[in-house]
Amino acid sequence: MTESRDSERLERQAKALFDDSVERLDGATLSRLNQGRQKALEELHKPGVGNWGRWAPVTGVAAAAAIAVMVMNGTTVDVPVDDPVTVSDFEMLLETDSLEMLEDLEFFSLLDAVDTESNGHVG
Amino acid sequence: MNAIAGVFAVSCSREQSTGASTLQRDRQLNQFFVEVERRALRIAEIGVRDRDEALDLVQDSMIKMARNYAERPGDEWTPLFYRILQNGIRDWHRRQKVRNRVMVWFGRGANADDEYDFAANAPDPAGRSPDVELQTAQAMQRLERSVHDLPHRQREAFMLRIFEGLDVAGTAMAMGCSEGSVKTHYSRAVHTLREKLGDHWQ
Repeated sequence: MTESRDSERLERQAKALFDDSVERLDGATLSRLNQGRQKALEELHKPGVGNWGRWAPVTGVAAAAAIAVMVMNGTTVDVPVDDPVTVSDFEMLLETDSLEMLEDLEFFSLLDAVDTESNGHVG
Repeated sequence: MNAIAGVFAVSCSREQSTGASTLQRDRQLNQFFVEVERRALRIAEIGVRDRDEALDLVQDSMIKMARNYAERPGDEWTPLFYRILQNGIRDWHRRQKVRNRVMVWFGRGANADDEYDFAANAPDPAGRSPDVELQTAQAMQRLERSVHDLPHRQREAFMLRIFEGLDVAGTAMAMGCSEGSVKTHYSRAVHTLREKLGDHWQ
């Protein structure tokens, strides 16, 4: 009973503090929010992305899957690597709304190279 | 001739009705963003502890929302918007992890906690006495720190339920999980926060 009352009190206080901090956002921040909103609303009047745009997520996932198969088969890895590619790496690549990560493939390649080199020095 | 005039009239009336519905959708979405943007910003800010990054995340979420989900029923907008935002926050943390790994390798590791300036990010004073102002600011800092330190699913559940006021079903939709999971995450979050903040808040 006391535990439940404590939880309710915490919820009430947390909500009040949060609402207070929202109310007191400064003018510069509100202005930037307004700009962001206007930019978002402009999206409504842009021409449709068309059929290619509709397929972009599918092609993105297909590309990620292809890369996953290549990596698992070891076709692109010449140097033995200590840490195998983990399931979470693929989850990260395949997750919906994370497709922008694919843009960073070059960066991740560099990272892998850095890891490999680093492991080489240590080992 | 009459038939042509009739077709023209129907076409004009369709265009007018399409234009009117587009305008109405613009207004509804604008209103939705106005209602949600400030709380969304603070939620993102607690998630990433950086106001500029939080502003970018909220703007990106609004753009994705307008681009992809404006045609969805209005009652789905709030959970959809927060789902986009939470995904954005999660991606941001992943990118930070990768960046930090590289920075550590180059010997320039950064501790985000050290860089976050609570004073600079504190809300503007609103005509209260300095004592009250200080107490409120300190309480909010403790709350922000404690919420930020929760495991991310617990943090999402707590912020969506308490700060945004979503019900369990809406939170489940925003988090992309079952209502049972929401209840579990939320309950654990409250338990942890009570333990952490209890001494200060009793």
